[in-house]
Amino acid sequence: MSGQRHYLGFMPPYILNRLIDHGSEWQRSRALKTLTHVRQFLPATARQSQASVAEAHQPGQLQRNIYDAQHLTVLPGALVRVEGQRASGDVAVDEAYDALGATHDFFWQVYGRDSIDNRGFALAGTAHYGEGYENAFWNGAQMVFGDGDGEVFQRFTRSLDVVAHELTHGVIESEAGLVYRNQSGALNESISDVFGVLTRQYVLKQTAEQADWLIGADLLTDKVKGKGLRSMSHPGTAYDDPVLGKDPQPAHMDDFINTQDDNGGVHLNSGIPNRAFYLVAIALGGSAWERAGQIWYDTLCDKNLDNDANFQAFATLTVQHAHQRFGTEAADAVRKAWEEVGVGLAGESPNERTSGLG
Amino acid sequence: MKELPALGNDATVRLSRQGGQVTTMTRPREIEFAQCNVDEREQICNVLNRCLPQTSTDVGRGDQRFYQIEVRYRSDNRDDQLRFTVPEDQASEELKRLWDKGQV
Repeated sequence: MSGQRHYLGFMPPYILNRLIDHGSEWQRSRALKTLTHVRQFLPATARQSQASVAEAHQPGQLQRNIYDAQHLTVLPGALVRVEGQRASGDVAVDEAYDALGATHDFFWQVYGRDSIDNRGFALAGTAHYGEGYENAFWNGAQMVFGDGDGEVFQRFTRSLDVVAHELTHGVIESEAGLVYRNQSGALNESISDVFGVLTRQYVLKQTAEQADWLIGADLLTDKVKGKGLRSMSHPGTAYDDPVLGKDPQPAHMDDFINTQDDNGGVHLNSGIPNRAFYLVAIALGGSAWERAGQIWYDTLCDKNLDNDANFQAFATLTVQHAHQRFGTEAADAVRKAWEEVGVGLAGESPNERTSGLG
Repeated sequence: MKELPALGNDATVRLSRQGGQVTTMTRPREIEFAQCNVDEREQICNVLNRCLPQTSTDVGRGDQRFYQIEVRYRSDNRDDQLRFTVPEDQASEELKRLWDKGQV
């Protein structure tokens, strides 16, 4: 069974979607109004599904709704698989279903976190977004996955760490709400990478030493000269390709990128806290989600973490949480990792650069 | 911003698609008005003016992509510039085409 589709009215939603994507401005405007009206009568949207979850939720109970955008850009698309239904036969839909389930399981089993809001938020994901769409994102209500162009990128549902990265954006919004700009935005990106890569390591039962510490290793086609989208162990080395260019991520504050692009370089400077996390995980050894991940999770959930926190503020809190939960040795390892990437701690940081504007 | 300022022969428009998981695919496109005829300039200005209702400063969250439009121009005998952003899901097809193909 591939899910029921209820179309009301004379004009099916897929035709309206087509008009929205390809029609004239007038057609687009009329189709959008009609679709919004029709959606009021459709059985489930990403937001509507939250109400039914809240009514009868058992702690840790997983609820997934996977949609198919049918290569259009209207969300959430057609509902094709709900929790408990067997595989749809659509690879991207089933990958999204499985990866969201694995991420939910990771947060629940390891940190006792019940989904995005810690109250059983129903996970909604849309596959086949757009045509050759080379991205995945969290829009505040759901995860969205493109199929890639097939030349440089494969479908984004292939990558468990990327799916988990997007879900973690929801977790961050629900906790610290780190502002998506400058250093707080780079922390937002880095924390998403951290729990994205930890989800994959947890599923594969890899130790810190065994893991490749790559984000999006499953996305690049064979034509690309690269290993993945980002390297957490060695930021700036993930790819060097004629089409993609060279991985621009810095690994140290000396190379911090001041830019107005990319919301102040949120996907660039995240390389610095990414490497700090990697160094902590290697120093503490074993399964990275157990100690390094727990320290980062405790910090993310700390009410003292301001939404505009800079690297220094975040680093300082990680040392405190390392000490509280695992003692002096762990705290020293965390302090040393931040020092290695050029981030000093509050009150003891003569080397901290302030050019990132926090 | 309700309307673009008057753009003369010396204006330059830079369009880029920002944000998202792939940071090196912004493919910035720079259009020098000095290289355009009067009709082309007017069409580009019309496209940009029609974008203005969709502009937002809260863009990019959670890897969502957005279009960044930067305009450099002369005003009152001095250099000036403005920058605005449009969320990808709000961007018109004509803006996307201008960025992608350099055509209006």
